[in-house]
Amino acid sequence: MKVLVTVKEVAAVEDEFEIDGTAIDEAYLEYDLNEWDDYAIEEGVQISESEDDVEVVSVTIGPERSEETIRMALAKGADRAVRVWDDSLEDAEMLDVEAKTNLLAAVVEEEEPDLVLSGVQADDDGFGATGVSLADEVGFEWAAVVNDLELDVEGGVASVRRELEGGVEELTDVDLPAVLTIQTGINEPRYASLRGIRQAQRKEIKPMTLDDLGLSADVAESDLEIVDMYEPETESDATLFEGSPDETAGQLAEVLRDGGVGQ
Amino acid sequence: MDFTSEQEAVRDVVREFAVEELRPVAAECDAEQAFPEDVWDDLADMDLTGLTVPEGYGGYDADPVTYALINEELAYGMLSVATALSVHGLATSCIAEFGSEDVKDEWLPEMATGRPVGAFALSEPQAGSNPAEMSTVARRDGDEFVVDGTKQWITNGKRSDVVILFAKTDRDDPGSVTQFLVPKDTDGVSVGKKEDKLGLRASDTTSLEFDGARIPAEYQLTEEGRGLSAAFSILTGGRIAIGAQSVGLAQSALDAALEYSQEREQFDQPISDIQTIRHKLADMQTKVQAGRLLTYDAARKKASGDPQATAMAASQAKLFSSESAIEVANEAVQIHGGYGYTTDFPVERLYRDAKILTIYEGTSEIQKKIIARHLLD
Ligand SMILES: Cc1cc2nc3c(=O)[nH]c(=O)nc-3n(C[C@H](O)[C@H](O)[C@H](O)COP(=O)(O)OP(=O)(O)OC[C@H]3O[C@@H](n4cnc5c(N)ncnc54)[C@H](O)[C@@H]3O)c2cc1C
Repeated sequence: MKVLVTVKEVAAVEDEFEIDGTAIDEAYLEYDLNEWDDYAIEEGVQISESEDDVEVVSVTIGPERSEETIRMALAKGADRAVRVWDDSLEDAEMLDVEAKTNLLAAVVEEEEPDLVLSGVQADDDGFGATGVSLADEVGFEWAAVVNDLELDVEGGVASVRRELEGGVEELTDVDLPAVLTIQTGINEPRYASLRGIRQAQRKEIKPMTLDDLGLSADVAESDLEIVDMYEPETESDATLFEGSPDETAGQLAEVLRDGGVGQ
Repeated sequence: MDFTSEQEAVRDVVREFAVEELRPVAAECDAEQAFPEDVWDDLADMDLTGLTVPEGYGGYDADPVTYALINEELAYGMLSVATALSVHGLATSCIAEFGSEDVKDEWLPEMATGRPVGAFALSEPQAGSNPAEMSTVARRDGDEFVVDGTKQWITNGKRSDVVILFAKTDRDDPGSVTQFLVPKDTDGVSVGKKEDKLGLRASDTTSLEFDGARIPAEYQLTEEGRGLSAAFSILTGGRIAIGAQSVGLAQSALDAALEYSQEREQFDQPISDIQTIRHKLADMQTKVQAGRLLTYDAARKKASGDPQATAMAASQAKLFSSESAIEVANEAVQIHGGYGYTTDFPVERLYRDAKILTIYEGTSEIQKKIIARHLLD
């Protein structure tokens, strides 16, 4: 069985920053593995630890800098990695969901995984759509916002619990091959071990260009355009309760009653 | 500073672990004088308990620079844990360096996985800076040694399961100090009372009593009379680790002071706008960085395999970084004002913890003695 885990290096913004045109100035950005993807990697690695003959392949779309991030996935137990990049991607202002879908779909075609795990969303641009869009493109079954997963490898079925809005959860079975978008909290991501880090230095990160994937440069073209970048006005309307726990609980109850939450 | 990508990845992971897992429990462990054993198990899962165990025995066999980076980052989180781990590392490096194949096979693979925990027992009530004055004796009796004596200030004293012990084979010959391995469950070995300390309170420091404790002769690690030079060569690496821990602790105090000084306002401005405070921060930063560079320098010298140059550099790194850590922690408390004097802020603990760094593994006075000897003799 083969599990493909999509990972993304995301930009985190420092507390104080400056906007340069329609982007945040590079000087204020730090790059790290997307939080959701950390859970997806852990889920993939746990599958490989509990089932026989599972290969975990990690894929990212990103410049050479992102190798550091993807190597962490290798250190945590992924077997090998693929990194897609190309000069024409470098030049694109933004890779939208469609572009990423097409790039990842080409990798799925090449790798033919039984299961694709992606994060629910990326911490920076936060489209929250790539996983499901990929499933649609490659014709896989899918389940989004998965926070529990039981895999029946022989039967080719993933039994999942999905987190829906308003605290509602759905239990459902998904036939493989499938794409699951992984929610934080599904597991407890491990810290990479030192020997894992050492082994990761020797694991393969295969670079792939658009050519290698049989795609042309127009894959990066987007209907979306960033027209503005600004800091939203923040408003704070907090009520601070003061007093003993008894008193503050009473005050909170009053607010909830007034708001129509409780009777 | 150039590090390999492996060194950088190790540093990043250990830093994240220190911030996420050590810091949040440091105050509680200090208050309760309790070592966080579950954190130790996490260290083991990350292979950190096998830093000085060769790869062939399941260890990570960290190069000296990586070893320094790890000590720095762990001490950034909690000095008690960094100290306990570095003492475990002293024990495994003694076994790796001086043990027979059988002894290594018996102990190293398990110690690399975190337990048994190791201790290093050199100091005695009457022999600290001058361990040659020790009075613990290991007398040969057939194919056993019989150990009698008292060791003092032993880190991991209670929680350890195996002790690297230094003892004389001849009561009357100060040149007969020899290194042994003593399983803690040996009859006649007992743990004395836990010291009630100024700082480093989560780490258990106890005495160890040996009363007719019999160990098999194969647990003699060095030749007779080679124990002290073995201790000193192992402690050279230990001093680089303490230098690194000093840097980590000082960085932690500096970061706390930086953050606080920008939040605290007096005279209608953040105190970080006041020149006196700015200069304090500048001094602190410079001391931390100078200590770090001395520590990395010592680590690099050790990596390049020059024992003389390493010994001097290690003493300089320990001397400067540990004294700086005290100064930096002191200023960090000062910058916090009254708040810094309370347990509500971490600098109070850092201030208390810092003092041990100029004492153990050779006091500052002893480091100067070593540096001067290299300069003059
Ligand atoms: C928390 C803690 C943990 C420890 N862990 C361990 C451990 O795991 N294993 C272990 O074996 N030991 C351990 N030690 C012991 C530590 O290494 C000794 O305390 C240290 O070496 C100093 O010895 P001493 O306490 O006997 O002081 P002394 O040697 O009595 O020194 C007293 C003072 O005299 C000074 N002095 C002594 N000789 C000279 C000299 N020749 N020139 C100038 N000044 C001198 C010293 O610098 C010091 O200021 C630990 C100690 C503590 C407090």
